[in-house]
Amino acid sequence: MINEQALKDVMAAVLEVEVDLISEATSMDTVEAWDSIKHLTLVLAIEEEFGVSIPDEDAADITSYTLIRLVLDEQLKRRAA
Amino acid sequence: MNDTVANPGDAARALLSTPGTTLARTLGALKTLEPLLPAERQTSLGLSSNVNIDLLATYLRKQGVLAGTRVTACTGSHDDVLGDLARFTAAGLQSMVYLPFFDNLLPAFEQQIVHLPPEQIDDLEQSLRQRWHLLFSQAGALRYLLVGTLHRLGTAVDTGVPDPVQAVLDRFNAALREEAAPHRSVRLIDTEAIVRQLGLRSAVDLRFYLRSTTPYTAAFLDELAQRVAQATRGFDTHYYKALVLDCDNTLWGGIVGEDGPDGIAIDPHSYPGRVFWRAQLDFLALERQGVLLCLCSKNNAADVDEVLVHHPGMVLRPQHIATARVNWDDKASNLRAIAQQLNIGLDSLVFVDDSAFECESVRSALPMVQVLQVPAQPSDYAQLTHTLKSMFLAGGVSAESRDKTAQYRQRDAAEQARSQFASHEDYLASLQLSVAIACNDEANVDRISELTQKSNQFNLTTLRQSPADILQRMRQADRWVLSLTVADRFGSAGLTGVVLARKLEQTLVIDALLMSCRVIGRGVEFALWPALVDLAAAQGCHAIEARYIASRKNAQVADFYDRAGLALHNDQPDHKVYRQLLADFQPKTIAWIQVTT
Repeated sequence: MINEQALKDVMAAVLEVEVDLISEATSMDTVEAWDSIKHLTLVLAIEEEFGVSIPDEDAADITSYTLIRLVLDEQLKRRAA
Repeated sequence: MNDTVANPGDAARALLSTPGTTLARTLGALKTLEPLLPAERQTSLGLSSNVNIDLLATYLRKQGVLAGTRVTACTGSHDDVLGDLARFTAAGLQSMVYLPFFDNLLPAFEQQIVHLPPEQIDDLEQSLRQRWHLLFSQAGALRYLLVGTLHRLGTAVDTGVPDPVQAVLDRFNAALREEAAPHRSVRLIDTEAIVRQLGLRSAVDLRFYLRSTTPYTAAFLDELAQRVAQATRGFDTHYYKALVLDCDNTLWGGIVGEDGPDGIAIDPHSYPGRVFWRAQLDFLALERQGVLLCLCSKNNAADVDEVLVHHPGMVLRPQHIATARVNWDDKASNLRAIAQQLNIGLDSLVFVDDSAFECESVRSALPMVQVLQVPAQPSDYAQLTHTLKSMFLAGGVSAESRDKTAQYRQRDAAEQARSQFASHEDYLASLQLSVAIACNDEANVDRISELTQKSNQFNLTTLRQSPADILQRMRQADRWVLSLTVADRFGSAGLTGVVLARKLEQTLVIDALLMSCRVIGRGVEFALWPALVDLAAAQGCHAIEARYIASRKNAQVADFYDRAGLALHNDQPDHKVYRQLLADFQPKTIAWIQVTT
């Protein structure tokens, strides 16, 4: 099971917003600070925090909270299996 | 052990100082801690590279918080270091980090090298050299220009002959070092050493490099930022001067009071004696670079003397020790006495002891003293000496600093001579003091700047000046940099006083007046006034203007200008302005000092 609060904490820290602002609706379009540079930092921070490696092909595309959760969940399951 | 943490600030600080704290947690801790920093402690850096190094800003902020200063970093344009320099300078940024990335000098440069005609590589080297030359010669306004050396992205297959990529890399790095060498504000940071330390796979991440020219991992940037902090002495927050060492189980293995001089472990040929022998070699190397070594030990003084003078395995001998406090008093009192005797601030001391109790008691009594504990495992001792070397040496050392111990010992010999004379003046006369005052002496720019950075107590305005600032003053008309070299019959104390003056209409304004505390108390601070009056008169000035600006450490000179006989013009609590007409000014004569200009 993915720890959604931990994911929200990471996103809030990297994107420099309050954690309450991270929700299902959060995406690159809704957060001003979330540009392509920040995105790299975000991927790096998520990998580090959850101990996973996000595949190249997904790394660029996970530009919303729900997409990140989906890909992270896959990676965590793969690791557990 | 204390598992409960007093407040969120302490918890966040503990997180930041723990190796391996994740990026997200680091950012969270910064958010908590940065607002707690004193508003006046801040510095700004520009980042310039031919790859994306934005994340370095986060780790520079972290190092800033650890040093107690707020760091703001802003990123320049891609691969435009000269443009970046102009923009950063115009924006008033204080320092700059420049990180040229070898493999991106040309696209996939490491792969291209074997295919390129040698002339093209020569061309590239020439153009880099020109760019570096321009950059370094235009960077004079910066406090620091921190430049990463080049390193490889790939590794060579061992074919038994020198690798062509390595050969080009070495050439380019040599060119970079050569261009950087004449420039005082430029500090090179060895990126190859960081890659070696972390391993290539932990230092660079090809996924992000190939996708978006972002080669470095958080671990690399964290280490790089740490080296930046060391090279800038914690963004100018500290200047360590003295290393205070415990004796038993710090300088040698065992306890001399119990095991006897023959029972302690210190020699090159056995274990654990060789651990301490190696450590002493490192301490001695620090002493050679100008670090003052002191002893602070709970022992019978005679036992420690016996070891220092006679033990065949010792590397350190009495002449290497600036001062020793070997007694049964508490260490905090002894550290205070050491600081007082050397006339340096407690925050210039680094204290090393093997006892957790002693370390903790010093930390709580004297939080401004840096305390390091000798590792429990003897084989870890080298890590401690490495840390000490980076604390003392990474900021650079000037040649004059190198014989510090000898200078302090001369002063001690002079103190001992004092007791034999009837009056203080007789004693001073016997010293045969001389002061040589030089004006705009460009050969001593580094030492003069260093003195403005380090002097706290006898410093009237605490005006910190980089070597570039000093050089600029020397070369400007109507500005003068006076430097004082003090000597007595025991030897030269070196360049130990600085006056920065300028002419404003018909007034000689003293912007800064400072001296090393080593020479205070003998009249040197008063002996220089006739020379200042001469300078003012020669420049057609009618008055001298000077000010005292209070700092946390310069209370001892709050009334210095009064004592020198200057008229108080404007008196505010932390800021006094003096204005003295030359016509009414009779500087004291100091009969026992010979002044030459």
